[in-house]
Amino acid sequence: MSEPLLKLTEATIQFGGLIAVNKVSFEIERGQLFGLIGPNGAGKTTCFNLITGVYKPTAGSILFEGKPIGGTPANKIAYKGICRTFQNIRLFGSLSALENVVVGGFLRNRSSLGSALAYFPKAISETERLKGQALELLELVDLRDVANVRSADLAYGMQRRLEIARALATKPKLLLLDEPAAGMNPQEKVELLQMVKTIREQLGVTVLLIEHDMKFVMGLCERIVVLDHGEEIAQGPPEEIRNNPKVISAYLGEAV
Amino acid sequence: MKSPAKFWLTRIVSVVLAIVGAFAAQGAIDGMKNSFVALLFVLAGLYVTLAVSLNLINGITGQFSMGHAAFYMIGAYTAALITKLAWKSQMNPMAWVLLMIVAGAITAALAGLLVGIPSLRLRGDYLAVVTLGFGEIVKIIAKNQEVLGKAYGMNNPLKYQSIFLVVLLAILCIAVCRNLLKTAHGLSFLAVREDEIASAAMGVNLTKVKVSAFVLGSAFAGAAGALYSHGLAFVSPESFSMDMSFLIVTMVVLGGTGSITGTSIAAIVLFLIPEKLRDLSNVKMGMIVGIGIALIITVALIKRAQDHYHKSSPPKAVVVIGLTIAGIMLAAGLGAGLANIPGLAAEVAGSKLRTVLLAVTLVVLMLLRPQGIFGHHEFSWSWVQKVLGKKNVPNVEVAA
Ligand SMILES: Nc1ncnc2c1ncn2[C@@H]1O[C@H](COP(=O)(O)OP(=O)(O)OP(=O)(O)O)[C@@H](O)[C@H]1O
Ligand SMILES: [Mg+2]
Repeated sequence: MSEPLLKLTEATIQFGGLIAVNKVSFEIERGQLFGLIGPNGAGKTTCFNLITGVYKPTAGSILFEGKPIGGTPANKIAYKGICRTFQNIRLFGSLSALENVVVGGFLRNRSSLGSALAYFPKAISETERLKGQALELLELVDLRDVANVRSADLAYGMQRRLEIARALATKPKLLLLDEPAAGMNPQEKVELLQMVKTIREQLGVTVLLIEHDMKFVMGLCERIVVLDHGEEIAQGPPEEIRNNPKVISAYLGEAV
Repeated sequence: MKSPAKFWLTRIVSVVLAIVGAFAAQGAIDGMKNSFVALLFVLAGLYVTLAVSLNLINGITGQFSMGHAAFYMIGAYTAALITKLAWKSQMNPMAWVLLMIVAGAITAALAGLLVGIPSLRLRGDYLAVVTLGFGEIVKIIAKNQEVLGKAYGMNNPLKYQSIFLVVLLAILCIAVCRNLLKTAHGLSFLAVREDEIASAAMGVNLTKVKVSAFVLGSAFAGAAGALYSHGLAFVSPESFSMDMSFLIVTMVVLGGTGSITGTSIAAIVLFLIPEKLRDLSNVKMGMIVGIGIALIITVALIKRAQDHYHKSSPPKAVVVIGLTIAGIMLAAGLGAGLANIPGLAAEVAGSKLRTVLLAVTLVVLMLLRPQGIFGHHEFSWSWVQKVLGKKNVPNVEVAA
């Protein structure tokens, strides 16, 4: 079997007395759609923060393409090929949708700051290239019509999709989606489900996603890991997770 | 993109135009044969450079720096000191001043590097305090060094007041900031202002962006300082007070953080208004009361007008401008009327009003339009058309 794209081994982080993520281990294969679920406060977002370099794990290891990345600064992680969206949308509010996506692509920019200050052809052509690429991504998430609208003025569902486009602009190998369907209506959720599938097919990215909507997760993910109180309580394909007694009790009898 | 030949042609034409424009300004001011006007022009031009360069740090990158006068001072002292030590009268003055501009820019840039590094850890108010403190430290150092003339200051042996160079520097500073904003690099600076966590997650190197902004902004302030130093042939610690840093911040805030044109206009207006008020004769008490009442009514009206619009969309500028004009007329009328009432006819010194007026303007503006007069917009023809509602111009340009 080939080497996993991402491998967490007993990854742990402690905030004072609270162990937010406790010895969590899982492996994500290339091209997989992987789900991360669990009740509120289970430590899912914190897991994302560990993988993307917001926090440094206090113990355990995180390997990306076989190399340790725990504690690497966030911007370097993005460069290595992991990018994310945020649960509580963090767009660049006063920039347009297009500009948001251009910022996403900026890390692969090949012109120097000096060339930008002098407005030399290199900086101009790079900006044009990034804008072109951004427009294609906006097309993919169905936001091309609002390319020049201030992102803060977009509807909620659109903002969520814009976050995905912005993350995709960094050309990630692994895309982390933190509750991408939150606040969307059923119609939008169906479209998003299709969109995530298309993204994986067309761009070949591996996806790790957090989601509370069980229908959404079960319908999309090939493998799921469940956290509760920072600990991993189950792992496996959707049908196994659905019937796992530990998972059912963690969700207090909610229909899973 | 345009073809390379066309690109270089436009580039050469714009450089030539800038030089011709600067010469024209020099000629026009020289023609007036009024040394006071010339001095005002020089200072106003330097303020444009100062405000636009601070805008790069505060407005575009979102790092709240309050010590811009310190970098101006460092440039000014550098030029004065090197000239004192090394200048020989047989040298070409223009070439020397150009050299000093570079020297001032370099020392100020190094100081900017020094301040830029704490900015990586500090945010908002904390950074403001550190930069403010830095300004005071620089002043205290100058006040205690024999070689820098202590509290008295020092003469710059080469007096060289060049409107040409002042204008050219301002144009260069504006051009560099505008260039930045037209490229993806500029967007990464704006992204840092908007959200640091998200910027870092998208791969933006926060350290590089913040330090570049500080170094570049300080370098321009230092270059302006060198021109100040040669223009007045004298520098003293008191000329670079905290008030000056506040004034520059006010220019950026009023002009609209992030807007280069707004900042330039605010710089000129805010520098000239107090200068004009300085020689204002005594004012009747009634006038002040009248203007005060008119101001309150106008602010209330503008607020009401704003509330009529949808929350997320900014209010129409036309309405605000209209109400402001009405307010000014009301103020003039009320002022003139009340001044004739015997009880309110007592006089106060007009020159004392300038600080009050500046403060009041700032407070009113912060209440009505916290994003500054121009907000994040640039003043351009298409913007004017959009404001006037003539045309629905799509905003394809990279907006600040
Ligand atoms: N920086 C921090 N300092 C202290 N505690 C933290 C920090 N970040 C997260 N926590 C705590 O870690 C726990 C897990 O939080 P996390 O945001 O990861 O939950 P989650 O699974 O994403 O929940 P939700 O479904 O509500 O988004 C919470 O108790 C939270 O308060
Ligand atoms: Mg969460």
